[in-house]
Amino acid sequence: MASTALRPALRQILAASPASRTLTSAALPAFRSQKLLARQSPLALQRAAFQTSSKRAILPPLPQTIRGTINDAATVPDTEPSHGSYHWTMERLVSLSLVPITIAPFAAGSLSPVLDGAFISLLIIHSYVGFQSCITDYFPNWRVPFWRKFFDWANFAFVGIVAWGWYEFETNDVGLTEGVRRVWKAGSKVDVTA
Amino acid sequence: MALRLATRRLALAQQAPKVFRRGMATPTASDTLAHTKGEPLSTISEATSASRAPIPPSKTTTIKEPETDPQAKIKTFHIYRWNPDEPTSKPKMQSYTLDLNKTGPMMLDALIRIKNEVDPTLTFRRSCREGICGSCAMNIDGVNTLACLCRIPTETAKESRIYPLPHTYVVKDLVPDLTQFYKQYKSIKPYLQRDTPPPDGRENRQSKADRRKLDGLYECILCACCSTSCPSYWWNSEEYLGPAVLLQSYRWIADSRDEKTAARKDALNNSMSLYRCHTILNCSRTCPKGLNPALAIAEIKKSMAFSS
Repeated sequence: MASTALRPALRQILAASPASRTLTSAALPAFRSQKLLARQSPLALQRAAFQTSSKRAILPPLPQTIRGTINDAATVPDTEPSHGSYHWTMERLVSLSLVPITIAPFAAGSLSPVLDGAFISLLIIHSYVGFQSCITDYFPNWRVPFWRKFFDWANFAFVGIVAWGWYEFETNDVGLTEGVRRVWKAGSKVDVTA
Repeated sequence: MALRLATRRLALAQQAPKVFRRGMATPTASDTLAHTKGEPLSTISEATSASRAPIPPSKTTTIKEPETDPQAKIKTFHIYRWNPDEPTSKPKMQSYTLDLNKTGPMMLDALIRIKNEVDPTLTFRRSCREGICGSCAMNIDGVNTLACLCRIPTETAKESRIYPLPHTYVVKDLVPDLTQFYKQYKSIKPYLQRDTPPPDGRENRQSKADRRKLDGLYECILCACCSTSCPSYWWNSEEYLGPAVLLQSYRWIADSRDEKTAARKDALNNSMSLYRCHTILNCSRTCPKGLNPALAIAEIKKSMAFSS
């Protein structure tokens, strides 16, 4: 086949060209004989030759359903400031306070284990909130309630594991600031054994 | 007439001598029948008919096929087509070519011309053709905009692609289903809510400064260009309200005459309705009216930051 003779790089360009948008990706079943693909579109064949794994949409869009009549208003959720405005304010305060606490060790060297601990705690909270936001975005409670709960708890469990790891690093090792200082050697020769 | 037809039939069947043939004003000069030479039936019918011989083609002008205009600016439009009457057939991109010299300057003019002159089955919404109704919102060359406010790029080498608004359920061709969008708009109660009557009993008055706060908000025509350009709204349109509805919500939160500001904020105070906005800013970039929904959302977040 002509398309399989194409170099992989060229095939990649072809697959990424806007003309390949004529295929609706969701409508393309995972496995299909290449003959059928070739008859439908040479581009699909090129794409199939390039991709080694099947395409799987994680949460493909459902058929349209309308709750109630078309004249009913959408339901308004209950007021939950702890998941709304308080959560947002706390998230921003954590992000803001991370800025000086990240810069301070650069300016003054390692200040104290307490500051180091505060830095790590804020980092963990910051990443926890970030992952939580991703989970809320991609696993809607109305659609995948089990996986939503699963990932929320997994996220929470990782906070504990990571915090324990950092505690060990801080108490039994050199700590975060000193660790970064040892790894970060701009301009000088890289010495792996240091 | 019956007699005449009967005579003709007789003439054909029996090849009667010319003197016995009858006809009305039969031409006798043989040269008038020159163009029917070699066709006996035509010769007879011409000879026996009342009509005169046609003027030969050598004495008339020639009307040629319409020539293609050398000045023509042919541009190709690829338009998304899907017909609900054929649910088993997939959506397709249909190409149309138009001469830009005979088309108006806007994309909507091109669509209307295609519908009028080329393909009457093409379906799209349009009403005011001047950007005040918001009906003709669609995705043109990758940007959500109003077809009536979008100029056709004059370079003909570049082909235009027109899709319905992204991540909407399509009713037909370029017509999206905006039911959920309107239901969400209704849920924010987009009307003045007051318990106390106005002091003078006549009008709810407002200072010029308070009125100025509504500039940039009241112009929204709910075309849904911003909401359907927001990735967060693509994923969570069931729960997240989207930039257009949040801008409208802020229009009533910011209104000095409205007395239900706290209730309006409470309705947004949960993880989904408002806080799925991640300041992607596609909404402000795409708004065909030049408004800034992202700023309105930021204002709501700011006003709610330290209140419940």
